[in-house]
Order: sequence, then C-alpha cells, then structure tokens
Amino acid sequence: MALVLDSISLKRNGTLIINNVTLRFERGRSHAILGNNGVGKTTIANVIMGLEGYRDHEGKIILDGEDITSLPVDERARRGLTLLWQEPARFQGLKVIEYLTLGRRLKIEPKLLEATLKLVGLNASYLEREIDESLSGGERKRIELASVILLKPKFAILDEPDSGIDLMSMDMIKNILQRLKSDGSGVIVITHREEVALLTDKAFLVCAGMVVKEGEPKEVCEYYKNLCDWCDHVNKPEEARMG
Amino acid sequence: MKITPDYSKEFQRIVDIYEKAGGKAENLLRGDVASVIISGNKVLGLNNVRGMAMESSVEGDAVLINLKVAEGAKILYPVHLCVGALEKEGEQRIVFEIDVGAGAVVNFLSHCSFPFAYDFLHFMKAVSRLGKGARVFYEDHHFHSESGGTNVKATYSVKLDTQAHFENRFYLTTTRVGKLEVEMESNNDGEDSVAHLETKIYERADDRVEVREKLFLNAPGASGILKTSIFATDNSYANVINEAYGNAPHVRGHVECTEVVKGDRVQVGTVPVLRVQYDTCELTHEASIGRVNTKQLQTLMAKGLSEDEATELIVKGLLR
Repeated sequence: MALVLDSISLKRNGTLIINNVTLRFERGRSHAILGNNGVGKTTIANVIMGLEGYRDHEGKIILDGEDITSLPVDERARRGLTLLWQEPARFQGLKVIEYLTLGRRLKIEPKLLEATLKLVGLNASYLEREIDESLSGGERKRIELASVILLKPKFAILDEPDSGIDLMSMDMIKNILQRLKSDGSGVIVITHREEVALLTDKAFLVCAGMVVKEGEPKEVCEYYKNLCDWCDHVNKPEEARMG
Repeated sequence: MKITPDYSKEFQRIVDIYEKAGGKAENLLRGDVASVIISGNKVLGLNNVRGMAMESSVEGDAVLINLKVAEGAKILYPVHLCVGALEKEGEQRIVFEIDVGAGAVVNFLSHCSFPFAYDFLHFMKAVSRLGKGARVFYEDHHFHSESGGTNVKATYSVKLDTQAHFENRFYLTTTRVGKLEVEMESNNDGEDSVAHLETKIYERADDRVEVREKLFLNAPGASGILKTSIFATDNSYANVINEAYGNAPHVRGHVECTEVVKGDRVQVGTVPVLRVQYDTCELTHEASIGRVNTKQLQTLMAKGLSEDEATELIVKGLLR
C-alpha cells in the first residue's frame, strides 16, 4: 500500500529541474517534502498528480504495485490520488456544496459536510456561497482542504496547505493531517516551513530538484535549518549534498 | 386569471410547456400574481394586481402588451410572462411597453418556449421606462426546439431616470438555440442610475448567435455592467459586440465577455467598444475566448471527474 516515485527526472528548456528522484510514501502516514522556494517541490507534486505539462518525465510512478506513469490526471484521481493546489482556482457560479460533492455526484451526509468544514475553520453557511471573487484566497484554500478530506483519497498531496490562510494554527494542520491518516490516506505535504514538516512522520529535503536528505522530520529539519536557511544551493545540489 | 373559453385547450398545452420549461403553472393562475399568457399571436389570459395595469391589444399581426406600474407601487410577486408557440412554422410578434413609475419596484419572470419550432420566427421588442428611483429586475428564460428551427430576434431597450436601477438577464442554456439575435440597450439618462445587462447562452450543433449590448451613460454618476457568457460547441457561431459610452462626467461602466469554446469547428468572436467624452469617465472591459480554463479543468480532474464531466460542471456555474 504505497506510492513510489522511481528515478523521476524532468527537463524544462534543456535544464534538469527534477533530477533522478526516488521517493516512497506509505498509506496511513504523513510525509513532508521540504525545501526552499524554487527547488522543485511543487513540480514533484504536479508530476505525481500527472498534471498537463508534467507528464513528459523519465522514471516510473507506482501506486499499490500498479504502474500509473502513463495515466492522465483523472485516471490517477480515480485510483486514489488527489491534489490540494497551492492557489486554488475560482469557479464562477459554482456553489461550495456543488464543488464539495462534485456536482452532487458524491453522496455526502450533511453532518459530515458540516463537520469537515468545521475542521478547516468554516461553518455550514459557506455551503451556499459561490467559489468566486467573493471568497478570499484563504477561504478558498480551506474549502479545497475540505474537498480533499471528503474525497478520502489513498494519497493526498497538499501543496503548501497553510499558505494564504490567516491564523491557521499548527493545531489545525495537525488535526487535518490526523483526520486524513485516520481515514487511511497517505499524506504528502509540500512545505518550506519546518514547523509544518515537524508535524509529519517522515521528511524529504529537496534541493535543486534532488532529494538531499530523508528521515525523521526532526533530523531533516535540523539539517534544513542549519544548511538551507542561509545558503544559496538552489542550483548547486552538489554543494548542498556536501553540506 | 380569466381564460378565453375558446382557448382553454391551447391554454392547457402552453401551460404544460411552461411547466416543462421550469415555470410553476400555479403561479399563472393565482389572483395575487400578475401574469400574461401569449400563444402565437393570441393572448390567452391576463391578470393584474393592485399597483399595476396591464392591457393587451393586437395591432396587425403583433401582440402589444402595455404595462404601467404606479408610482411608488411595490409589486410583491414577479410578474409572470408566459410566451410560446405550439406551431412548427410561422411567426410570433410581441411588443412590450413597460412604464414603471417613480419609486416603484417590480420583478419580471419571463419564459419563452418554442418546443416544436421547425421554421418559426419569434420577434420580441421590449421598451421600458423607469421613473426616478424605480427598480426593475427582468429575467428571461428561453427554451427552443431541438431541431434548431427557432429564429429569435429580441430587442430590449430601457430609459432610466435618476437613481433608477435596472437589471436584465437573458438565459438560453438548456436547449438548442437555432438562430438568435439579441440587442439590449440601456440609456442611463438620470444621475446615478444603474443598469446591469447580462446574457448567458449554451450553443450546440450549428446554432448561430449575435449579441449586441449597448450602454449609454448619459448623466453624471450613472453606471452599468454589460456581461455576456457563451459556451460554444460543435459547429456553432457567436458574435458579441459590447458597447459602452461615457457621455457624462463621473460615470462608470464595465463590459465583460467570456466565450468558452469546445471543439475545433466553432466560430466565435467579440468586439468591445468603449468611448468616453470626459476624463472622469471610467470604462473597463474584460474579454476571454478559449477552452475551459486549464486550472479549473485540472482541479476537477484531480478529483476524478473526466474532462467532459469537469467541463460540464464549470460551464454550469458559468451559465448560471
């Protein structure tokens, strides 16, 4: 019951932006992909999800033993992957309840809808709101988090789940991770914040498209704090690896 | 409502169509709801409520509806306009003249249904005048035949006095269009008057649409929005011209056209026209033509919807 990235490399305009990345994620556990801005964290998320423009990579993606490398995004989603976008889209005219139930395709008990909104810091009145300019970026992010939770995916990729949300406490993020894990989901959190990475069970440090360290979040965060906070290794992974 | 006895069968058929189009037939029969039912070039029934006077007449081959809302009247329920034709071929001509007195408030809910049209022309002209501070909301839903043989030419024009507020929304989103020419024009002649004209259309097969919306901001402080949303598929054609004129100081106008296309055989275009006479005028426009927004599409596909399902959901919101 695992999601495996096997030797993934991706070029853009002749430059290697993901360099031979191999990662393993487990169901029921949370994982952090940690690193500074611009090192390729979001690219890894988009490659896993198979978004348009991120499928021309080398290497394989294996979900529960099945090679899903050639599958498009919707097929991957139907097999249990989903993505929380760093900046969720707006949907003019679409109500929150329609969005969460995918146009009433998902049958979700009203109590569960309300409880999930509460978990992300919103109340039931949001269900009738439209996902347009009337909602702030933070509100849309919370709705997107609720959507991911309600999908009960095998693996949820959360790209900077706390960005753009005012006053989202570490407790709230912890509760969301716990809820996903207790539903049996594996969680992959993309973040540049040590505090967020410390809430997970395992961390991978990424620099210049490469995984430079993996292990206990505390240990990886310590390394990140001492090395990456002040260095400029964004395009010099070998220096980063050497410390 | 009194139904002319000779028309009772036709009334029942037109009411059936009205219900299929989403209307509530019981509202047409309620004494406290103003309504008019027109089938072809005949008025089958008409009901007035306190505060308004609606009369019908026939001039040549056209039905003329003259409607006056008294000064200060607040019409509690929307005036229901049930318009349709049962014929496959022919013409229907209707002229609405609407005078809304100062301070009056009235909403209109119109359903126009042509379910059997094979070669049928529906010509409609609505001329409205709103007095000082009057408020009108006009919602027009069209339902055409699946043969594509409905030809609609609809013209709406409105004159707004000081602080009058007018909203007009035209929807043709659930059936084939056939051929459609819509012209909407707002003359904001009074200071601080407000107009909001909106058109939403879903085109299929070889449907053809021409939309022309004009906003004349003729008095200081007047404002308005012209908004058109079209989803064009198959071999359909759409041309949208949105015009806004700032003819007085301190006016504000916004013109917006969104045309979402699916397939490689559609032909769509939009032309925004903005002209101002004063440096304090503020007119803006926003236009987009293309496939469904990739990020919206991918967001929904990352939740398991197919591209078609995701497109359907996005368009449902867009055309609401």
